[in-house]
Amino acid sequence: MGLSVRLVVRTLSELCITVGTVIVLFVVHVMFWTGIKADSATAAQVDLLRRAWVDQPLPPATKAPEATGTLTPQPYAAGKGIAVMYIPRLGEDWEWPVLEGTAPATLKKGLGHYASTARLGATGNFAVAGHRRTYGDPFKDFPSLRPGDAVVLTDGATWYTYRIERKPYRTVPTDTGVIDPVPRPLRKNAAGFDGPGRYLTLTTCEPEWGSSHRLIVWAHLDATQPVTQGKPPSLTG
Amino acid sequence: MYGWIWRHLPGNAWVRGVISLVLVLAVVYALFQYVFPWAEPLLPFNDVTVDA
Repeated sequence: MGLSVRLVVRTLSELCITVGTVIVLFVVHVMFWTGIKADSATAAQVDLLRRAWVDQPLPPATKAPEATGTLTPQPYAAGKGIAVMYIPRLGEDWEWPVLEGTAPATLKKGLGHYASTARLGATGNFAVAGHRRTYGDPFKDFPSLRPGDAVVLTDGATWYTYRIERKPYRTVPTDTGVIDPVPRPLRKNAAGFDGPGRYLTLTTCEPEWGSSHRLIVWAHLDATQPVTQGKPPSLTG
Repeated sequence: MYGWIWRHLPGNAWVRGVISLVLVLAVVYALFQYVFPWAEPLLPFNDVTVDA
């Protein structure tokens, strides 16, 4: 009798210790291991893009990118890289690939372009989602974004500089109007756009470790220049 | 539980120690490679998009 009680208590204790260890390991996985995996995955994606760009014909330097419309652009392929994004406010070496689509597997390798939204630099809304936490924490400092901050992207041929309009807008996950061609959030005038234009939307989760809300910033296309002219001033300044 | 495993491992204490270490590493590997990637989307950190 005494022996079997001891056996039950010991087995229970061992189970509790085991479960506790697994939980600690899971936290290590979420907080550190996903970041380590994302570091190499995003670096590989940026590398793939740069290699593809080496073989890509450049548009004539004298023409604005919209004037090269005679070259029908390739449609974006799901899960494949389409551009590299830089946001100086989030760090000098903040550099993330933007991949096509917002599937969970895609967002582990970089930022995700909402497939239903406009192409980079085009009229409409180029909308991009990214992790606030885990998988490299790309948008950890999202709340520090301010009006006038540059969001710079390149597709290998052109540098696109977008300017952020307003401080981040906090909304609910069902507020899909934020990625409309002319953003129409639930709170009227939160975006402040009243007509068609070349816009950009960034979305991430809010609060940092939760999913009850989303944080949104909008930007408009401010300048473009061919890559042959070097980096735009907002990156070199 | 662990005592039962220990008693059923072959060899002397050293061999059992090495086998135990290998077993622990195999379990940790399986957790990181298969179990955690499966469990992680069930938590809210992946919800970064707006959708209906």
